[in-house]
Amino acid sequence: MNVSRFVGDAIQYLFIGIAAFLSVFPFAWMVISSTNTSIDILGGKATFGHAFAANVGNFFAQVDAPLVFWNSIKVSLMATAMTIVISSLAGYGFEMFKSRMRDRVYSLVLLTLMVPFAALMIPLFMMMAKSGLIDTHIAIVLPGIASAFIIFYFRQSTKAFPVELRDAAKVDGLKEWQIFLYIYMPVMRSTYAAAIIIVFMASWNNYLWPLIVLQSNETKTITLVVSSLASAYTPDFGVVMIGTILATLPTLFIFFVMQRQFVQGMLGSVK
Amino acid sequence: MAAVELTDIRKSFGTLEIIKGVDLTIEPGEFVVFVGPSGCGKSTLLRMIAGLEDITSGELRIGGDRMNEVDPSQRGIAMVFQSYALYPHMTVRENMGFALKFAGIDKAEIARRVDGAAGTLGLDALMDRKPKALSGGQRQRVAIGRAIVRNPKVFLFDEPLSNLDAELRVHMRVEIAKLHKRLQSTIVYVTHDQVEAMTLADKIVVLRSGIVEQVGRPLDLYDDPANMFVAGFIGSPKMNFLPARIEAAEAGRVTVALTGQAGVRLTLPVADGSAGVGGEVSLGIRPEHFVGAGEGDADLTVEVDVVEHLGATSYVYAEVAPGERVIIQRDEARHAAAREKLTVGLPAGRAFLFDAAGRRLR
Repeated sequence: MNVSRFVGDAIQYLFIGIAAFLSVFPFAWMVISSTNTSIDILGGKATFGHAFAANVGNFFAQVDAPLVFWNSIKVSLMATAMTIVISSLAGYGFEMFKSRMRDRVYSLVLLTLMVPFAALMIPLFMMMAKSGLIDTHIAIVLPGIASAFIIFYFRQSTKAFPVELRDAAKVDGLKEWQIFLYIYMPVMRSTYAAAIIIVFMASWNNYLWPLIVLQSNETKTITLVVSSLASAYTPDFGVVMIGTILATLPTLFIFFVMQRQFVQGMLGSVK
Repeated sequence: MAAVELTDIRKSFGTLEIIKGVDLTIEPGEFVVFVGPSGCGKSTLLRMIAGLEDITSGELRIGGDRMNEVDPSQRGIAMVFQSYALYPHMTVRENMGFALKFAGIDKAEIARRVDGAAGTLGLDALMDRKPKALSGGQRQRVAIGRAIVRNPKVFLFDEPLSNLDAELRVHMRVEIAKLHKRLQSTIVYVTHDQVEAMTLADKIVVLRSGIVEQVGRPLDLYDDPANMFVAGFIGSPKMNFLPARIEAAEAGRVTVALTGQAGVRLTLPVADGSAGVGGEVSLGIRPEHFVGAGEGDADLTVEVDVVEHLGATSYVYAEVAPGERVIIQRDEARHAAAREKLTVGLPAGRAFLFDAAGRRLR
């Protein structure tokens, strides 16, 4: 092996190592801290302790965990299902149906990506208030179901969908909705998997909008509860870390279950 | 099997007219091939028959019934696509039975038809495989099987062999010809490969820029092309066109002199009165119709450029004059060397004359 190649490889591995450390460290810190007391954590202790059981006990004593998790699951499943259905239909429509207005409307949809959420927050809140939806879960879900990014993602992926399949299905007697349901959806399952992961994670981790809309303890989601634990007058960081681990587990689980399809979907493959 | 009648069929995309008034009758049981260069509108015309493209104006009848507004699945057609268009998430059996399932046909009947088609096409061992586990030829057979099970009145094939390698293409061509013989159904077949057209068709429709240039039996198109385009398109290698000038026009015949080679004159039987003395024309002669020196009605001396040996025959690529090239297919020319002078005979009986607009002078 010549020297320049060795140096090149060494630099490459160094960068990969740093990137891996930066990615994994917060998770490792979270897991280690969940076994330590708040004082140890604040003292910078970076080794496993013996306070895990106490932290878990305190967490379940302070938080109505089943209710909070049920709220988060309910909101995330609703948001995922509605966003995927609406946005994939829109992406399919934008790609398949030709019209003079198509690209103009599509540009407008994409333009909404440029509008920061902070600018939409107050008008959205007023709309929800007028509709009597404040402190309901549907209020969290509704603003995101026609997601410009997911529409864009589906339209781009649909470009790889063979048009002849649609023609063949028409000759076979399928209506447009049947083509979508029986041909497009199964063929594009990798795209759906990736979109489901993206939307589910975004919805599960959604913080700002639920913070504004949800007002009672009965409707709050896990992200709000973890945040309120951390912002207490004397936060117990061991308990906060238990909450954070529990909040992270569902997204990790979904990602590991669907990671193969996620990678295929992100690569835009049609199987 | 059913007749397909197209009456003044037109197709426009916005202001751009793609199909410019096609009149055509396809008889029941006939194998008709649409042929033409890329962009001539042959696939669009097929898709209009299938119902996958709207008809801007004109009338389409299948089996005597007007079909302009009828849904593709109700037209009694089945289509085989260039990319096969097999549903990738279904097995071969599911692919073949899918249309029947949607038509509400009972399971036993679907199984009977699918198994029958699979037997015909030799697909029995592949029925539980998915398309990605099949070779190109097998996929093509599944696509044909999917069409057969529907018992259509008309089969539509859209360049079905163009994704196959050369050997498989020849094999599938024979299979399709056999299938037509066995089913006796009406077939409309689109290709840009004139060899496919010549070997498969009962009738060829030559299209250019949305216009039918000529309709006829394969040998009629080869022996008696209506214009320079058809003459050049049908036949491989393509017909040679040599620039010439009319020197004399008498009753029923004209004498032309080649522009590229002084002294080469040929008299052809032409009754067309529009062939005036001094008119610029093109003399068409197929590579295989050159004869030996002194055996024709005039001799042409060319300079050999390249000789292509195909085994059974050889093509000589040569120059008549600077920039004016011809292809000659002569067995005795197979040993010709580059830059060698070669003299061949031009038989007036096998030559064609075209005016400056490409119209055949008869």
